[in-house]
Amino acid sequence: MSSSDPTQSEYVTLVSGDGFEFIIPRSAACVSGTIRRMLDPSSKFSEALSGRCVFENLSGVVLEKVCEYFCYNDKNKNQTNVPDMDIPPELCLELLMAADYLDT
Amino acid sequence: MDSDPPLPPPLRIRHRSPTTSSGSPNNNSGSNSNKPRVHRPSLAKTYRLSSRFDDHSSQPSSDPALFSSDDIPASGLENYHHAPALGSGPGTGSGPRKRRYRGTWWGETVPDAVGSEGLDAQGYGHWHGHGHGRKMKRKRAEFKDKRLVDSGVWMGSDESVSVFASEGDRWGEELLVNSRAEEVRDDDHGHGQGQDGGAMVSTGTRTAFAKKVEEESREHQVARSIVNDCLESGEDSIDLSNGNLRLIPTGLLRPLQHLTKLPTIKEPPITEEVYSSLQPFLRLFLSGNALPSLTGELFELDSLRVLSLRNNKLTEIPPAIRRLTKLQELNISVNRLSLLPWELLWLIKKGDLKHLTVQPNPLSQIEESQISQWHLPTENHEDMKSCEYDGPPPEEAWAPIHVATGPIIRYNMEGVPLSECRSPSFSHTPSNLDSQSQHQAASRVPSLRETALLCFSKSTAFDTDLIPEDDTPGFPNLLLRLLRQARDVRNAGGRSCSICHRSFVIARTEWIEWWDCSTYENGLKGPRASGEKLRPLPFWRLGCSLGCVPASELEA
Repeated sequence: MSSSDPTQSEYVTLVSGDGFEFIIPRSAACVSGTIRRMLDPSSKFSEALSGRCVFENLSGVVLEKVCEYFCYNDKNKNQTNVPDMDIPPELCLELLMAADYLDT
Repeated sequence: MDSDPPLPPPLRIRHRSPTTSSGSPNNNSGSNSNKPRVHRPSLAKTYRLSSRFDDHSSQPSSDPALFSSDDIPASGLENYHHAPALGSGPGTGSGPRKRRYRGTWWGETVPDAVGSEGLDAQGYGHWHGHGHGRKMKRKRAEFKDKRLVDSGVWMGSDESVSVFASEGDRWGEELLVNSRAEEVRDDDHGHGQGQDGGAMVSTGTRTAFAKKVEEESREHQVARSIVNDCLESGEDSIDLSNGNLRLIPTGLLRPLQHLTKLPTIKEPPITEEVYSSLQPFLRLFLSGNALPSLTGELFELDSLRVLSLRNNKLTEIPPAIRRLTKLQELNISVNRLSLLPWELLWLIKKGDLKHLTVQPNPLSQIEESQISQWHLPTENHEDMKSCEYDGPPPEEAWAPIHVATGPIIRYNMEGVPLSECRSPSFSHTPSNLDSQSQHQAASRVPSLRETALLCFSKSTAFDTDLIPEDDTPGFPNLLLRLLRQARDVRNAGGRSCSICHRSFVIARTEWIEWWDCSTYENGLKGPRASGEKLRPLPFWRLGCSLGCVPASELEA
């Protein structure tokens, strides 16, 4: 979907509730079903037009880990031997909530 | 003594009234020294009890006799440790005699008219006639009995000093988790028997523990004592069969990891047999109980060789059984199993498992199950036969035979089967969903949910009891369900993908493989006969990602 529309940039910006911005490749961010739907050009959501998604309910620490996961997923999606991703235990409940919200 | 804050009541209102009302304690002690033959046993006993704690007597609260005997030369510190010279005179047996006066200084030295000079421990022996002796001795005994019943005052001179110290440790331990408390209780009993009433301070603690003892069922206590006996005697065959256990209590099996056999040398003529391995050949018999499930603790016994779970109420064998890599013999017959974990097959192929007893169990039958692929060379699947051979049996007459594979069930990231996942709420984006599942079909990357759940289930910091059982409003329902699943997986010892061996919580793929293991079912006693009918068993296989499917499926 990203490549089909020439007006869409290759990167998207994810903004946490406390103002941290993370710029990651669009393909990586679209691992998340929620973000993919947000950025779907046919939806005409403001996020789709601006390429900027604000998550009021995610803190910067959690969103950073989420972005790390997006890149990790994107990098390993065609591999057979996938390494483990480290998650600090104190973040795992919040990440679980975020994963539920982001549908990933 | 006089520095103690809780001073006993003054002279006339003596709390030891039964003893002192009929006679003064001075008489009592005095007669001891005058009639040594009669009292030798009690003196000796007193000495024995006190000798361990002589060092403690320098503490201010310990012993009133110390300061009351200053003017008697023989009672100086240099003589303090000496054995009592019985009957040689009132001043000699200083050490033990000090022990005799356990009450307050005024309680011991209540001045009857005669004994007023005998304030010190040694002195007043002179003053009393022989006629009192017997009576006084009895009183003494009463006094001691009384201490068993009551005191409220604990003194350093009591023989419970060391015991008290260990009690103190136990107070701290009481703060630990309940499961620990059960272990502690065992030595609690040990101490308790050797104790007299001295450790009264800890009575409260003791009753608290006693209550917990009652809480644990008798079956568990019996099981624990059996395990403890095995650990102590180095016995590597642990028989917990017919113990009426409904669950395996926590901490019961874990110590068996460290079981060591004892050398068997008894007599000087040493034969070859003495030099046997001290590596335990661990055998655990849990048959004839009522276990509905197994705990992960069982699978930590990685040196287990023989395991019998016969005649229980198991509905599932956790995949964590794969960790018992040294297992040679497994009996899971007479249970409620409909499927076997694929990990058993792994243990047969890669591990040491040689004897697998499965029947009878209500296992799924291949005739009634859906089969997506047959693996037998013959076209006719109705009569499943092993290979026909002449002469010596070939390799495949021994090995397990893959008969068939059932259909693959795929799950989404929440553990819901993918076919059900196309629910109305998702119906507005059918194309997206399809593309997503297509896109992820080849991927073996765990989902973020999975990664977080795995982290949760591996983390020791989270007490899984914190997960509420009911639907608490603060928790999203879905989250709660996933967390409970993570907890259950953890309690069952964890799961690992049967394709890529990664540990996981939520299975994404699931299928059944039918294998014939009849040679292993009879303990590798003989190969299959030529053209023997196969009796395939259902092995349940789980994959951690949508990419973890049988190889034949990937090619298709």
